[in-house]
Amino acid sequence: MNTIEDQKILEGIKTGDEVVITAFYKKNMPYIRRYVLQNSGSELDVEDVFQDAIVLIYQKLKVEQIELYASLQTYFYGICKNIWRNRLRKNNRMVSAEDVLEGVEALDPDIVEEIERNEEAHVYRKHFVNLSEACQKVLNMVFNGKSMRQIAESTGYTEGYARKKKFECKEHLIEMIEKDPLYKELKEPIEKN
Amino acid sequence: MERTPELFEKIEDYLQGSLPQEELVTFEQEMEKNDALKEEVAMHRALHTTLQDADTIAFKNKLKNISAHIRLDEAPDVVSIRPNRDGLYYKIAAVIVVVFGIGTLLYTSNSAQHTLDLYGAYYAPFPVEDMTRGEASIEVQGIIKQYGKGIYDSVVVALEKYPNIREQQPLSLYLGNSYLNTDQEEKAIQQFENVEDSKYLEVAQWYLSLTYLKLNKTAKVEELLLEIIGYDGTYKSRATELLQLLEKK
Repeated sequence: MNTIEDQKILEGIKTGDEVVITAFYKKNMPYIRRYVLQNSGSELDVEDVFQDAIVLIYQKLKVEQIELYASLQTYFYGICKNIWRNRLRKNNRMVSAEDVLEGVEALDPDIVEEIERNEEAHVYRKHFVNLSEACQKVLNMVFNGKSMRQIAESTGYTEGYARKKKFECKEHLIEMIEKDPLYKELKEPIEKN
Repeated sequence: MERTPELFEKIEDYLQGSLPQEELVTFEQEMEKNDALKEEVAMHRALHTTLQDADTIAFKNKLKNISAHIRLDEAPDVVSIRPNRDGLYYKIAAVIVVVFGIGTLLYTSNSAQHTLDLYGAYYAPFPVEDMTRGEASIEVQGIIKQYGKGIYDSVVVALEKYPNIREQQPLSLYLGNSYLNTDQEEKAIQQFENVEDSKYLEVAQWYLSLTYLKLNKTAKVEELLLEIIGYDGTYKSRATELLQLLEKK
């Protein structure tokens, strides 16, 4: 039951249309903010949950069409709430499961699994986009298998400096990830659950 | 385990399947015995797998920018023209960042992430408009052009070699900002502290306070912000806002 309006928004997310995404952000952020803040979250959690849910939709749209059985808003809220519920469960902040589960829209089991699978990836991306542009550029080439010579040619660095830069950027990224509370929780599932 | 460039390169070669057979066997044996190494390899593997998806990274960067734009109302606001000693004019266009919905930044946690977010909200590079026009050498003009385009690594390389930079205070500010944008905060601090010319003192103090903010050294930030407020100049309103946000944390 994808309405024309919902279809336009999905298309906008898929193509990275800033106007569409900004409008979607402004319209839906207040609801998600209220929900997360009322359920033991902080402003930082709000931003993370909201963005991670859009990224999840973007990634799904890259490989398949999303067939909605309710409105896009309902679907999106369901994803956000499931992401937040998972995070609360992982760090034992969930005081009453019923409180948080109340109003969680039913989702396709596949996407619920996908939310679980993507948690670590969200942490990696969050810290990667906080690196300087120079670091992002160098590491992106490293992750895509480019040689030091290719990296040096593309950036204008010497090979020696490119090598040094790559190490510093990657080490910094790993340190940031390791300090992230969500990452620590994800790495200790047995003790926490 | 200690992280070294050599260790990272070995892990990367291992993940790319380019370790020579003999080294591969030794490395795998070492992993069997060493849990820390095994974990390190797993981390690198996960990073490589997840972050090679450049489309999703670009999309995430776009979301970050959209979010920042929604939260901030940027208004190029103050333009002050002051004569320098040679009678030329420097135009300093200071970008005032007005925090949209200050409440959204009053986070409950006292974490480094909170100060990083404040840094993201308040930092804008020292502007280059019309700086040293007519006076700068071709070399300096080239450096300034690169700075304006955000090619901070190249600016660092060029300005580190530049002689007598302390005598040209705007260049110190460019270099300090370039260090800040290439995650070299300690060097940025040195540059901003080197600025002695009264004309640039306030702006240098502002960027110094932001550098300490990025490093989550809030006591130092507060001390500097109080000094800036005392100058009663261009940065007073921003310093006051930032101080209030830090105190309410």
